[in-house]
Amino acid sequence: MRIGTVLSVVAAAGLVACGGEVPAPKALVDARADYAKAKGGITLQLDPTDVHEADLALQKAESAWQSSQDPNDEHAIDQAIIAQRKAQIAMAEAAALKAQQELQTAKNELEATMQSQLQATRGQLDKTQRNLAQTQDQLSLTAAQAAEQKKQLADLEAKLKDARDTIAKIAAVKDDDRGMVITLQGEVLFKTGKWDLKPGAMAKLDQIADALRGKEQPMVVYGFTDNVGAIDMNMDLSQKRAQSVRDYLASKGIPGDLITAEGKGPAAPIAENTSVEGRAQNRRVEIVVKPKKS
Amino acid sequence: MRFATIALLAAVLAGCSSSFPPPNDEYSAAQADVGRAESGGAPAVPDAKLHLQLAQEDLQKSKALIDNGDNKRAADLISVARVEAQLALSLAKQLQAEEQARKAQADVAKAKGGQ
Repeated sequence: MRIGTVLSVVAAAGLVACGGEVPAPKALVDARADYAKAKGGITLQLDPTDVHEADLALQKAESAWQSSQDPNDEHAIDQAIIAQRKAQIAMAEAAALKAQQELQTAKNELEATMQSQLQATRGQLDKTQRNLAQTQDQLSLTAAQAAEQKKQLADLEAKLKDARDTIAKIAAVKDDDRGMVITLQGEVLFKTGKWDLKPGAMAKLDQIADALRGKEQPMVVYGFTDNVGAIDMNMDLSQKRAQSVRDYLASKGIPGDLITAEGKGPAAPIAENTSVEGRAQNRRVEIVVKPKKS
Repeated sequence: MRFATIALLAAVLAGCSSSFPPPNDEYSAAQADVGRAESGGAPAVPDAKLHLQLAQEDLQKSKALIDNGDNKRAADLISVARVEAQLALSLAKQLQAEEQARKAQADVAKAKGGQ
């Protein structure tokens, strides 16, 4: 076919050359140009069938022109127009095919992009879910710990209240910034000038020891005197009395490393030393139960 | 022998002049081509619209030629009308395909930009 066309063109050219003066009609010149374009570009690769059609049409147009040699011959001109249109159809069809290929490529790329984005999002979601699960585990653990601590605290408070209630029946109990303070009058515990415990005192201290046992709270036993007599003597007496009470409590199950004794002498009176009653109140022993170290 | 020659000459002359049959089938086929170009979107594409109009004009002219008995010339014009209509459809298809491809490429760029 191609050879046929070439031959036709050559023949036509030969005729024109021999005739010397009859140029091909414009329609045929245009048809040849468009056919050359279709044949030279990607059109031949993408749409060989339509290029072939155009080739056949051009051959017909060339023959018609050869037969007539009349630039105004309508049949020859129509054949040339048909040939040109067929070349144009081939180019348009090829361009459409090319666009369809590009469309498919873009679709594939879009699909791949979406897939990878979807995977990335899924990955993030998984990670977030794992983190959430971890956080929830930690939260429930923390909640359980908090509940346990709260319960322990409530138990301790209940125990402390029980102890305080028991002690309040036999001694004055108050709270100050040192902790819970149990005050025992000196007359109840000791004879004048002595520091060994009276038998009745032991019974009271037994009850106090019972109530405080197991609390695991540090305690300090303070001894106090009135202001009668030499300061050195009073300091010594108050120390010895505090020590007696401390030793007794320690012998009754209060851990020795948690309880200490300290003599204060006439310091920190709780009443005036000007009256008999006031001096009696100042002669005392205070057991200070400190808040449990946490 | 002489008679046969005359008869043959008469037949050839008859074929060449007015006995060319009216190209009715081709005319119908051209109408179908125009219809396909119209429904294929050619009126909306300037280049395609031009060729569609040429096809319609050629078809009208060919109808007049058939009415006047010039069937041969009508057949040529119908052939031209057919390729005009076919080209109109091809051009419309080309533009539509190119637009779709451009859109899809823009979608890809957008999707990638959104990452």
